[in-house]
Amino acid sequence: MRAAQRGGPCAYAQLLARITPWLRGYIGKERRFLQMADVEDLVQDVLLSLHAVRRTYDPGRPFLPWLLAIVRHRMADAARRHTSRSAGETSPEARQEANSSFPVTSLEAAANMEESAFGDPQALRQAIRALPAGQRVAIDLLKLKEMSLKEAARELGTSVGALKVAAHRGMASLRRALGRKTVKE
Amino acid sequence: MSTIDTQQLIERLAGDAAPVGRLPAPWVRTALWLALAAVNLLAFVLVMSPRRDLGAAIANPAFITEQLAALATGITAGLAAFASVVPGFDRRALILPLLPLAVWLACVGTGCATSWIRFGPAGLTVTPDWACVPAITLIGLAPAAIIAIMLRRGAPLTPHLTAALGGLAAAGLASFALRLCHAEDASVMVLIWQIGTVALLTAAAAAAGRWVLGWGILTRRGR
Repeated sequence: MRAAQRGGPCAYAQLLARITPWLRGYIGKERRFLQMADVEDLVQDVLLSLHAVRRTYDPGRPFLPWLLAIVRHRMADAARRHTSRSAGETSPEARQEANSSFPVTSLEAAANMEESAFGDPQALRQAIRALPAGQRVAIDLLKLKEMSLKEAARELGTSVGALKVAAHRGMASLRRALGRKTVKE
Repeated sequence: MSTIDTQQLIERLAGDAAPVGRLPAPWVRTALWLALAAVNLLAFVLVMSPRRDLGAAIANPAFITEQLAALATGITAGLAAFASVVPGFDRRALILPLLPLAVWLACVGTGCATSWIRFGPAGLTVTPDWACVPAITLIGLAPAAIIAIMLRRGAPLTPHLTAALGGLAAAGLASFALRLCHAEDASVMVLIWQIGTVALLTAAAAAAGRWVLGWGILTRRGR
Protein backbone atom coordinates (compact mmCIF):
# COMPACT_ATOMS: atom_id res chain seq x y z
CA MET A 1 0.00 0.00 0.00
CA ARG A 2 2.89 2.27 0.79
CA ALA A 3 4.25 1.65 -2.69
CA ALA A 4 0.78 2.21 -4.11
CA GLN A 5 0.56 5.63 -2.47
CA ARG A 6 3.85 6.51 -4.08
CA GLY A 7 2.39 5.43 -7.40
CA GLY A 8 3.92 2.03 -7.99
CA PRO A 9 1.49 0.34 -10.38
CA CYS A 10 3.15 -3.08 -10.02
CA ALA A 11 3.03 -3.20 -6.26
CA TYR A 12 -0.51 -1.87 -6.32
CA ALA A 13 -1.70 -4.50 -8.80
CA GLN A 14 -0.03 -7.15 -6.66
CA LEU A 15 -1.75 -5.85 -3.55
CA LEU A 16 -5.18 -5.75 -5.21
CA ALA A 17 -4.72 -9.20 -6.68
CA ARG A 18 -3.73 -10.52 -3.27
CA ILE A 19 -6.60 -9.03 -1.32
CA THR A 20 -9.30 -9.82 -3.91
CA PRO A 21 -9.65 -13.54 -3.08
CA TRP A 22 -9.56 -12.68 0.59
CA LEU A 23 -12.30 -10.08 0.08
CA ARG A 24 -14.37 -12.57 -1.87
CA GLY A 25 -14.04 -15.06 0.96
CA TYR A 26 -14.75 -12.55 3.69
CA ILE A 27 -17.81 -11.04 2.01
CA GLY A 28 -19.08 -14.47 1.02
CA LYS A 29 -18.79 -15.60 4.63
CA GLU A 30 -20.46 -12.51 6.05
CA ARG A 31 -23.24 -12.50 3.48
CA ARG A 32 -23.97 -16.15 2.95
CA PHE A 33 -27.34 -15.44 1.36
CA LEU A 34 -25.83 -13.47 -1.54
CA GLN A 35 -25.44 -14.88 -5.02
CA MET A 36 -21.91 -15.17 -6.38
CA ALA A 37 -22.50 -12.26 -8.75
CA ASP A 38 -23.62 -10.02 -5.89
CA VAL A 39 -20.56 -10.93 -3.85
CA GLU A 40 -18.43 -10.06 -6.86
CA ASP A 41 -20.24 -6.73 -7.18
CA LEU A 42 -19.43 -5.98 -3.57
CA VAL A 43 -15.78 -6.98 -4.06
CA GLN A 44 -15.56 -4.54 -6.96
CA ASP A 45 -17.30 -1.87 -4.90
CA VAL A 46 -14.67 -2.30 -2.20
CA LEU A 47 -11.81 -2.20 -4.70
CA LEU A 48 -13.14 1.02 -6.23
CA SER A 49 -13.67 2.57 -2.80
CA LEU A 50 -10.24 1.56 -1.61
CA HIS A 51 -8.76 3.07 -4.73
CA ALA A 52 -10.70 6.30 -4.24
CA VAL A 53 -9.59 6.77 -0.63
CA ARG A 54 -6.11 5.29 -0.81
CA ARG A 55 -4.67 8.55 0.44
CA THR A 56 -6.34 8.06 3.82
CA TYR A 57 -4.12 5.09 4.63
CA ASP A 58 -1.43 5.91 7.17
CA PRO A 59 1.65 3.73 6.54
CA GLY A 60 2.43 3.93 10.23
CA ARG A 61 -0.67 1.90 11.04
CA PRO A 62 -1.68 -1.67 10.22
CA PHE A 63 -3.31 -2.19 6.84
CA LEU A 64 -5.97 -4.75 7.75
CA PRO A 65 -8.11 -2.62 10.11
CA TRP A 66 -8.09 0.12 7.50
CA LEU A 67 -9.26 -2.28 4.81
CA LEU A 68 -11.83 -3.92 7.08
CA ALA A 69 -13.40 -0.58 7.94
CA ILE A 70 -13.93 0.11 4.24
CA VAL A 71 -15.29 -3.39 3.63
CA ARG A 72 -17.73 -3.21 6.54
CA HIS A 73 -19.04 0.19 5.51
CA ARG A 74 -19.44 -0.81 1.89
CA MET A 75 -21.29 -3.94 2.95
CA ALA A 76 -23.59 -1.89 5.15
CA ASP A 77 -24.15 0.57 2.31
CA ALA A 78 -25.05 -2.24 -0.05
CA ALA A 79 -27.46 -3.67 2.49
CA ARG A 80 -29.05 -0.26 2.91
CA ARG A 81 -29.38 0.16 -0.85
CA HIS A 82 -30.98 -3.24 -1.06
CA THR A 83 -33.46 -2.49 1.72
CA SER A 84 -34.49 0.85 0.29
CA ARG A 85 -34.88 -0.70 -3.15
CA SER A 86 -37.00 -3.54 -1.93
CA ALA A 87 -39.05 -1.49 0.53
CA GLY A 88 -42.63 -1.58 -0.63
CA GLU A 89 -41.95 -4.58 -2.78
CA THR A 90 -42.86 -8.06 -1.67
CA SER A 91 -41.35 -11.18 -3.06
CA PRO A 92 -43.63 -13.27 -5.29
CA GLU A 93 -43.56 -16.03 -2.68
CA ALA A 94 -44.71 -13.71 0.07
CA ARG A 95 -47.44 -12.32 -2.11
CA GLN A 96 -48.67 -15.77 -3.01
CA GLU A 97 -48.70 -16.70 0.64
CA ALA A 98 -50.73 -13.62 1.51
CA ASN A 99 -53.19 -14.34 -1.28
CA SER A 100 -53.41 -18.05 -0.81
CA SER A 101 -56.91 -17.78 0.62
CA PHE A 102 -58.09 -16.21 -2.62
CA PRO A 103 -58.02 -17.89 -6.02
CA VAL A 104 -55.45 -16.45 -8.38
CA THR A 105 -57.33 -15.07 -11.35
CA SER A 106 -56.25 -14.34 -14.86
CA LEU A 107 -57.94 -13.80 -18.20
CA GLU A 108 -57.33 -17.34 -19.28
CA ALA A 109 -60.02 -19.46 -17.69
CA ALA A 110 -57.77 -22.50 -17.53
CA ALA A 111 -55.08 -20.57 -15.72
CA ASN A 112 -57.48 -19.84 -12.90
CA MET A 113 -57.76 -23.44 -11.92
CA GLU A 114 -55.39 -24.10 -9.13
CA GLU A 115 -54.72 -27.72 -9.20
CA SER A 116 -54.77 -28.23 -5.48
CA ALA A 117 -58.09 -26.47 -5.01
CA PHE A 118 -59.92 -27.60 -8.11
CA GLY A 119 -58.48 -30.95 -8.92
CA ASP A 120 -58.23 -31.72 -12.59
CA PRO A 121 -59.05 -28.60 -14.66
CA GLN A 122 -59.85 -30.81 -17.63
CA ALA A 123 -62.52 -32.63 -15.65
CA LEU A 124 -63.98 -29.34 -14.48
CA ARG A 125 -64.17 -28.06 -18.04
CA GLN A 126 -65.93 -31.23 -19.12
CA ALA A 127 -68.34 -31.00 -16.21
CA ILE A 128 -69.19 -27.43 -17.16
CA ARG A 129 -69.76 -28.48 -20.75
CA ALA A 130 -72.11 -31.21 -19.58
CA LEU A 131 -74.35 -28.77 -17.69
CA PRO A 132 -77.77 -27.80 -19.05
CA ALA A 133 -77.53 -24.69 -21.26
CA GLY A 134 -79.04 -22.22 -18.75
CA GLN A 135 -76.75 -23.29 -15.91
CA ARG A 136 -73.71 -23.44 -18.17
CA VAL A 137 -74.18 -19.88 -19.39
CA ALA A 138 -74.77 -18.67 -15.84
CA ILE A 139 -71.56 -20.31 -14.58
CA ASP A 140 -69.67 -19.04 -17.59
CA LEU A 141 -70.69 -15.41 -17.16
CA LEU A 142 -70.72 -15.20 -13.39
CA LYS A 143 -67.85 -17.45 -12.36
CA LEU A 144 -65.49 -17.58 -15.30
CA LYS A 145 -65.98 -14.14 -16.84
CA GLU A 146 -66.62 -12.69 -13.38
CA MET A 147 -69.51 -10.49 -14.43
CA SER A 148 -71.78 -9.03 -11.79
CA LEU A 149 -75.29 -10.42 -11.46
CA LYS A 150 -76.75 -7.27 -13.02
CA GLU A 151 -74.41 -7.34 -16.03
CA ALA A 152 -75.01 -11.03 -16.65
CA ALA A 153 -78.79 -10.63 -16.29
CA ARG A 154 -78.75 -7.81 -18.82
CA GLU A 155 -76.63 -9.88 -21.20
CA LEU A 156 -78.98 -12.86 -21.01
CA GLY A 157 -82.18 -10.85 -20.82
CA THR A 158 -83.34 -12.65 -17.66
CA SER A 159 -84.00 -11.49 -14.14
CA VAL A 160 -81.31 -11.42 -11.45
CA GLY A 161 -83.28 -13.92 -9.40
CA ALA A 162 -83.49 -16.45 -12.21
CA LEU A 163 -79.77 -16.10 -12.83
CA LYS A 164 -78.97 -16.69 -9.18
CA VAL A 165 -81.00 -19.87 -9.19
CA ALA A 166 -79.33 -21.09 -12.38
CA ALA A 167 -75.86 -20.37 -11.02
CA HIS A 168 -76.63 -22.08 -7.72
CA ARG A 169 -77.98 -25.16 -9.48
CA GLY A 170 -74.99 -25.15 -11.80
CA MET A 171 -72.55 -25.12 -8.87
CA ALA A 172 -74.49 -27.94 -7.22
CA SER A 173 -74.35 -30.05 -10.36
CA LEU A 174 -70.63 -29.37 -10.75
CA ARG A 175 -70.05 -30.43 -7.18
CA ARG A 176 -71.91 -33.64 -7.81
CA ALA A 177 -70.19 -34.22 -11.14
CA LEU A 178 -66.73 -33.79 -9.69
CA GLY A 179 -67.56 -35.85 -6.64
CA ARG A 180 -66.17 -33.20 -4.34
CA LYS A 181 -67.80 -31.34 -1.57
CA THR A 182 -65.95 -28.09 -2.01
CA VAL A 183 -66.00 -26.27 -5.25
CA LYS A 184 -65.37 -22.68 -4.38
CA GLU A 185 -68.18 -20.36 -5.26
CA MET B 1 -20.25 -9.20 -12.87
CA SER B 2 -17.80 -11.98 -13.17
CA THR B 3 -14.33 -12.73 -11.95
CA ILE B 4 -12.94 -11.67 -15.32
CA ASP B 5 -14.40 -8.19 -14.82
CA THR B 6 -12.78 -7.98 -11.42
CA GLN B 7 -9.44 -8.84 -12.96
CA GLN B 8 -9.93 -6.09 -15.54
CA LEU B 9 -10.93 -3.69 -12.81
CA ILE B 10 -7.75 -4.44 -10.87
CA GLU B 11 -5.67 -3.81 -13.97
CA ARG B 12 -7.46 -0.54 -14.65
CA LEU B 13 -7.12 0.66 -11.08
CA ALA B 14 -3.43 -0.28 -11.01
CA GLY B 15 -2.91 1.59 -14.28
CA ASP B 16 -4.67 4.60 -12.81
CA ALA B 17 -2.55 4.58 -9.65
CA ALA B 18 -1.03 8.03 -9.82
CA PRO B 19 0.93 8.92 -6.73
CA VAL B 20 -1.31 10.40 -4.06
CA GLY B 21 -0.34 12.70 -1.27
CA ARG B 22 -0.96 10.97 1.99
CA LEU B 23 -3.63 12.57 4.12
CA PRO B 24 -2.07 14.15 7.22
CA ALA B 25 -3.22 13.04 10.65
CA PRO B 26 -6.63 14.35 11.76
CA TRP B 27 -5.18 16.79 14.29
CA VAL B 28 -2.89 18.29 11.66
CA ARG B 29 -5.83 18.79 9.34
CA THR B 30 -7.88 20.24 12.18
CA ALA B 31 -5.12 22.75 12.86
CA LEU B 32 -4.98 23.67 9.19
CA TRP B 33 -8.73 24.12 9.05
CA LEU B 34 -8.66 26.23 12.21
CA ALA B 35 -5.99 28.46 10.75
CA LEU B 36 -8.04 29.04 7.60
CA ALA B 37 -11.26 29.52 9.54
CA ALA B 38 -9.57 31.88 12.02
CA VAL B 39 -8.59 34.24 9.20
CA ASN B 40 -12.21 34.32 8.12
CA LEU B 41 -13.61 34.81 11.57
CA LEU B 42 -11.11 37.52 12.38
CA ALA B 43 -12.05 39.36 9.21
CA PHE B 44 -15.68 39.05 10.16
CA VAL B 45 -15.16 40.35 13.70
CA LEU B 46 -13.18 43.32 12.36
CA VAL B 47 -15.79 44.14 9.74
CA MET B 48 -18.66 43.85 12.21
CA SER B 49 -16.55 45.67 14.81
CA PRO B 50 -16.28 44.04 18.23
CA ARG B 51 -18.88 44.88 20.84
CA ARG B 52 -18.14 47.99 22.85
CA ASP B 53 -18.30 46.25 26.19
CA LEU B 54 -15.89 43.53 25.11
CA GLY B 55 -13.38 44.58 27.77
CA ALA B 56 -15.96 44.27 30.52
CA ALA B 57 -17.29 41.03 29.08
CA ILE B 58 -13.84 39.46 29.07
CA ALA B 59 -13.51 40.23 32.76
CA ASN B 60 -16.64 38.18 33.38
CA PRO B 61 -15.67 34.56 34.15
CA ALA B 62 -19.03 33.25 33.03
CA PHE B 63 -18.61 34.86 29.61
CA ILE B 64 -15.07 33.51 29.31
CA THR B 65 -16.09 29.98 30.29
CA GLU B 66 -18.97 30.01 27.85
CA GLN B 67 -16.84 31.34 25.01
CA LEU B 68 -14.05 28.86 25.68
CA ALA B 69 -16.58 26.03 25.75
CA ALA B 70 -18.07 27.15 22.42
CA LEU B 71 -14.61 27.40 20.90
CA ALA B 72 -13.62 24.00 22.27
CA THR B 73 -16.84 22.49 20.92
CA GLY B 74 -15.99 23.80 17.46
CA ILE B 75 -12.41 22.55 17.60
CA THR B 76 -13.18 19.08 19.00
CA ALA B 77 -16.10 18.65 16.58
CA GLY B 78 -13.70 19.46 13.75
CA LEU B 79 -11.17 16.97 15.09
CA ALA B 80 -13.84 14.29 15.39
CA ALA B 81 -15.06 15.03 11.86
CA PHE B 82 -11.54 14.69 10.44
CA ALA B 83 -10.98 11.49 12.41
CA SER B 84 -14.23 10.01 11.12
CA VAL B 85 -13.11 10.08 7.48
CA VAL B 86 -10.12 7.83 8.14
CA PRO B 87 -11.02 4.13 7.84
CA GLY B 88 -10.40 2.29 11.06
CA PHE B 89 -10.43 5.45 13.18
CA ASP B 90 -10.80 5.24 16.92
CA ARG B 91 -14.48 5.70 17.67
CA ARG B 92 -13.70 7.35 20.97
CA ALA B 93 -12.86 10.45 18.93
CA LEU B 94 -16.56 10.85 18.23
CA ILE B 95 -17.47 11.54 21.86
CA LEU B 96 -14.75 14.16 22.17
CA PRO B 97 -17.00 17.15 21.29
CA LEU B 98 -19.65 16.06 23.78
CA LEU B 99 -17.62 17.22 26.76
CA PRO B 100 -17.15 20.88 25.75
CA LEU B 101 -20.68 20.89 24.35
CA ALA B 102 -21.97 19.82 27.74
CA VAL B 103 -19.93 22.57 29.43
CA TRP B 104 -21.28 25.10 26.93
CA LEU B 105 -24.88 24.08 27.53
CA ALA B 106 -24.28 23.99 31.27
CA CYS B 107 -22.90 27.55 31.19
CA VAL B 108 -25.90 28.87 29.32
CA GLY B 109 -28.24 26.78 31.47
CA THR B 110 -26.70 28.20 34.63
CA GLY B 111 -27.15 31.67 33.19
CA CYS B 112 -30.84 30.95 32.58
CA ALA B 113 -31.27 29.65 36.11
CA THR B 114 -29.51 32.68 37.58
CA SER B 115 -31.71 35.15 35.76
CA TRP B 116 -34.79 33.15 36.79
CA ILE B 117 -33.73 33.41 40.41
CA ARG B 118 -32.88 37.08 40.14
CA PHE B 119 -35.76 38.38 38.00
CA GLY B 120 -38.35 35.61 38.13
CA PRO B 121 -40.24 34.74 34.93
CA ALA B 122 -39.33 38.14 33.45
CA GLY B 123 -35.71 36.97 33.37
CA LEU B 124 -36.59 34.35 30.80
CA THR B 125 -38.41 36.57 28.33
CA VAL B 126 -37.62 35.56 24.80
CA THR B 127 -37.84 38.27 22.21
CA PRO B 128 -37.47 37.52 18.52
CA ASP B 129 -33.88 37.87 17.44
CA TRP B 130 -34.04 36.34 14.00
CA ALA B 131 -30.85 38.12 13.00
CA CYS B 132 -28.91 35.38 14.82
CA VAL B 133 -29.96 32.70 12.35
CA PRO B 134 -28.61 34.31 9.15
CA ALA B 135 -25.68 35.81 11.06
CA ILE B 136 -24.37 32.49 12.34
CA THR B 137 -25.13 30.88 9.00
CA LEU B 138 -23.19 33.57 7.14
CA ILE B 139 -20.24 33.58 9.53
CA GLY B 140 -20.17 29.80 9.51
CA LEU B 141 -20.43 29.54 5.75
CA ALA B 142 -16.72 29.91 4.97
CA PRO B 143 -15.48 27.56 7.74
CA ALA B 144 -18.19 25.09 6.74
CA ALA B 145 -17.22 25.22 3.07
CA ILE B 146 -13.55 24.76 3.94
CA ILE B 147 -14.19 21.81 6.23
CA ALA B 148 -16.53 20.26 3.64
CA ILE B 149 -13.86 20.45 0.95
CA MET B 150 -11.28 19.02 3.33
CA LEU B 151 -13.57 16.22 4.51
CA ARG B 152 -14.26 15.19 0.93
CA ARG B 153 -10.65 14.18 0.60
CA GLY B 154 -11.28 11.46 3.16
CA ALA B 155 -13.39 8.34 3.09
CA PRO B 156 -17.13 8.99 3.55
CA LEU B 157 -17.59 6.14 6.00
CA THR B 158 -20.28 7.84 8.06
CA PRO B 159 -21.49 10.70 5.83
CA HIS B 160 -24.30 11.95 8.05
CA LEU B 161 -22.31 11.83 11.27
CA THR B 162 -19.23 13.37 9.66
CA ALA B 163 -21.29 16.18 8.13
CA ALA B 164 -23.07 16.81 11.43
CA LEU B 165 -19.72 17.11 13.20
CA GLY B 166 -18.44 19.42 10.48
CA GLY B 167 -21.59 21.52 10.77
CA LEU B 168 -21.25 21.65 14.55
CA ALA B 169 -17.60 22.66 14.20
CA ALA B 170 -18.37 25.53 11.82
CA ALA B 171 -21.47 26.68 13.71
CA GLY B 172 -19.65 26.49 17.05
CA LEU B 173 -16.87 28.73 15.78
CA ALA B 174 -19.41 31.08 14.20
CA SER B 175 -21.32 31.34 17.43
CA PHE B 176 -18.07 32.07 19.25
CA ALA B 177 -17.28 34.87 16.80
CA LEU B 178 -20.78 36.30 16.93
CA ARG B 179 -20.65 36.60 20.72
CA LEU B 180 -17.59 38.82 20.32
CA CYS B 181 -19.61 41.29 18.24
CA HIS B 182 -23.20 40.93 19.28
CA ALA B 183 -23.99 42.33 22.72
CA GLU B 184 -26.67 39.91 23.75
CA ASP B 185 -25.94 38.42 27.14
CA ALA B 186 -29.32 37.18 28.29
CA SER B 187 -28.66 33.47 28.62
CA VAL B 188 -32.09 32.45 27.47
CA MET B 189 -31.63 34.45 24.28
CA VAL B 190 -28.25 32.86 23.71
CA LEU B 191 -29.81 29.46 24.34
CA ILE B 192 -32.73 29.88 21.99
CA TRP B 193 -31.24 31.94 19.20
CA GLN B 194 -27.54 31.10 19.14
CA ILE B 195 -27.45 27.51 20.33
CA GLY B 196 -30.75 26.93 18.57
CA THR B 197 -29.17 28.08 15.32
CA VAL B 198 -26.12 25.91 15.94
CA ALA B 199 -28.40 22.91 16.47
CA LEU B 200 -30.37 23.79 13.34
CA LEU B 201 -27.23 24.07 11.21
CA THR B 202 -25.85 20.82 12.62
CA ALA B 203 -29.08 19.06 11.76
CA ALA B 204 -29.12 20.58 8.27
CA ALA B 205 -25.52 19.46 7.71
CA ALA B 206 -26.38 15.95 8.91
CA ALA B 207 -29.29 15.81 6.48
CA ALA B 208 -27.07 16.94 3.61
CA GLY B 209 -24.39 14.41 4.60
CA ARG B 210 -24.88 11.90 1.84
CA TRP B 211 -25.11 14.67 -0.72
CA VAL B 212 -21.86 16.35 0.33
CA LEU B 213 -19.93 13.20 1.20
CA GLY B 214 -20.72 10.10 -0.76
CA TRP B 215 -18.98 7.16 -2.29
CA GLY B 216 -20.79 7.91 -5.52
CA ILE B 217 -18.70 10.95 -6.35
CA LEU B 218 -15.47 9.22 -5.38
CA THR B 219 -15.93 5.92 -7.13
CA ARG B 220 -17.43 7.40 -10.26
CA ARG B 221 -14.26 9.35 -10.65
CA GLY B 222 -12.41 6.03 -10.48
CA ARG B 223 -14.74 4.23 -12.87
